[in-house]
Amino acid sequence: MLQHIAIGQYVPGQSFLHQTDPRSKLLFVILFAALVFWANNAATYAVLVGFMLAGVLLSRLSLSYILKSLRPIWLLILFTVVLHLVITKGGEVYFRWGWLSVEEMGVRQAVFISLRLTLLVLISSLLTLTTSPIDLTEGLERLLGPTGRIGVPVHEIALMMSIALRFIPTLMEETDKIIKAQTARGANLTEGSLVRRARSLMPIVIPLFVGAFRRAEELALAMEARGYRGGVGRTRLRRLKWSWRDGCVAAAACALTFVIGWWRT
Amino acid sequence: MQITFDQVSHIYGRGTPFERTALRDVSLTIPAGSFVGIIGQTGSGKSTLIQHLNGLLQPTSGTITLGDVKVTPREKMPHARRRDIGLVFQYPEHQLFEETVAKDVAFGPLNFDMPPELVEVRVREALEIVGLDYEAVKDRSPFHLSGGQMRRVAIAGVLAMQPKVLILDEPTAGLDPAGRKAILEAIYRIHREQRLTTVLVTHSMEEAARYADRLIVMAQGRAVLEGSPDEVFAHADRLRELALDVPETVALVTQLNQRLPETERLPSSLYREEALIEHLLARLSVAKER
Repeated sequence: MLQHIAIGQYVPGQSFLHQTDPRSKLLFVILFAALVFWANNAATYAVLVGFMLAGVLLSRLSLSYILKSLRPIWLLILFTVVLHLVITKGGEVYFRWGWLSVEEMGVRQAVFISLRLTLLVLISSLLTLTTSPIDLTEGLERLLGPTGRIGVPVHEIALMMSIALRFIPTLMEETDKIIKAQTARGANLTEGSLVRRARSLMPIVIPLFVGAFRRAEELALAMEARGYRGGVGRTRLRRLKWSWRDGCVAAAACALTFVIGWWRT
Repeated sequence: MQITFDQVSHIYGRGTPFERTALRDVSLTIPAGSFVGIIGQTGSGKSTLIQHLNGLLQPTSGTITLGDVKVTPREKMPHARRRDIGLVFQYPEHQLFEETVAKDVAFGPLNFDMPPELVEVRVREALEIVGLDYEAVKDRSPFHLSGGQMRRVAIAGVLAMQPKVLILDEPTAGLDPAGRKAILEAIYRIHREQRLTTVLVTHSMEEAARYADRLIVMAQGRAVLEGSPDEVFAHADRLRELALDVPETVALVTQLNQRLPETERLPSSLYREEALIEHLLARLSVAKER
């Protein structure tokens, strides 16, 4: 039931992207996101889409699987497309019916905005699909390291993130199990009026919350029992190292920025 | 109600990198009124198998016949028929949600439109079957009970629907020996009193030997052994290969038989503790009289 949501689901592998340092991947994603907003014509968007596809090839994941991560937002994309088609005016008029008209600028905006959303979601899913949550938070912790000096609780933030990411699949599994258990007891989640359906969520939400609190308590206890006292003086099991792959990513980032900057209008 | 599986396979996450075959061509029969034990290691497909028994999962291929209902990859189980098959999940106490025990147990019956007067009777019966005092617990919050009591309430919640088939997925996991025994004895009692078809999933050979009259051994998504307990326990080597073991009673009988002359060997049907003790005592008293 819930097994189709791909966001945040790491797929283990040995590809180029899997082995790249999480820090360089993170920085590249941030840069890419900025470039997505900087790009403003067909040529620059084509370059970004090309880069995206190259990234998919380097991850050795199937494109159709990565595209599944768009599922939660396709309604949003559809909504923006329709809105832009109808509201944004200017340029040649393609179609007119009463007050309703579709014009050149509207089509242009609709395509660009939906491309932006798609690219943003795809690049971030590519990051989470090829980087294990532990690597991801470790990379983030190291990148944010310097801000620790001005009082940002970097270690605590990273820990909260890794715990949250760690429990997404667990909670999804639990939700699935509770839905099944209540269905077996005759709960009907797909039929009846809206009010009835909303009420029928209670037998699922309450056990889910109770379970989440139970897990949180157990985890806190287990961490204390093993002497966890926060990040001070904590050593690392795995060290992140700069490699030729990170050099490639840096070079690609420079080239991409240059091309977009050159070709944008 | 008889249940049959015909060449049933189930694949999780089809078309994703996480694709995993949980059941491979499983064919088996659960006769009406029987007590079937399903044994297997973690990950052998037991839990997937039982979720097919009430239509929560549909097979990827194959046919399941539940009484007069057929479930195939295309045909779903009708909602109303779920009532006939009570499924108790692992750690069922995690599904409790109501303010009071009585309301929680009544959830299932009310979902299947049982009249409220009847529901109260069913709730009382169900709680008493699992060994809880209705008057004492009915107005308490299920979250303030002990772990063992919560599990009993959850099982009562399924029993109150008066299913024709009762399926339990490791109902004793995480309980102390006394709690285990109490729950299993309660299940066995209703099985005998109401001729309720019962399916018990367990990885304890002792539990399976004690209560089941038919065993199914699962391994790597296949039903590898099926038959009466003494038939299954006769394949001791195969069971050991699957990292399962014969119950201690069967091991003892085998050891004794190695020392006894051929004419005096113990029959392999003595896999239940009580039966074995009785038989051995009878033999000893005969020996003394001589």
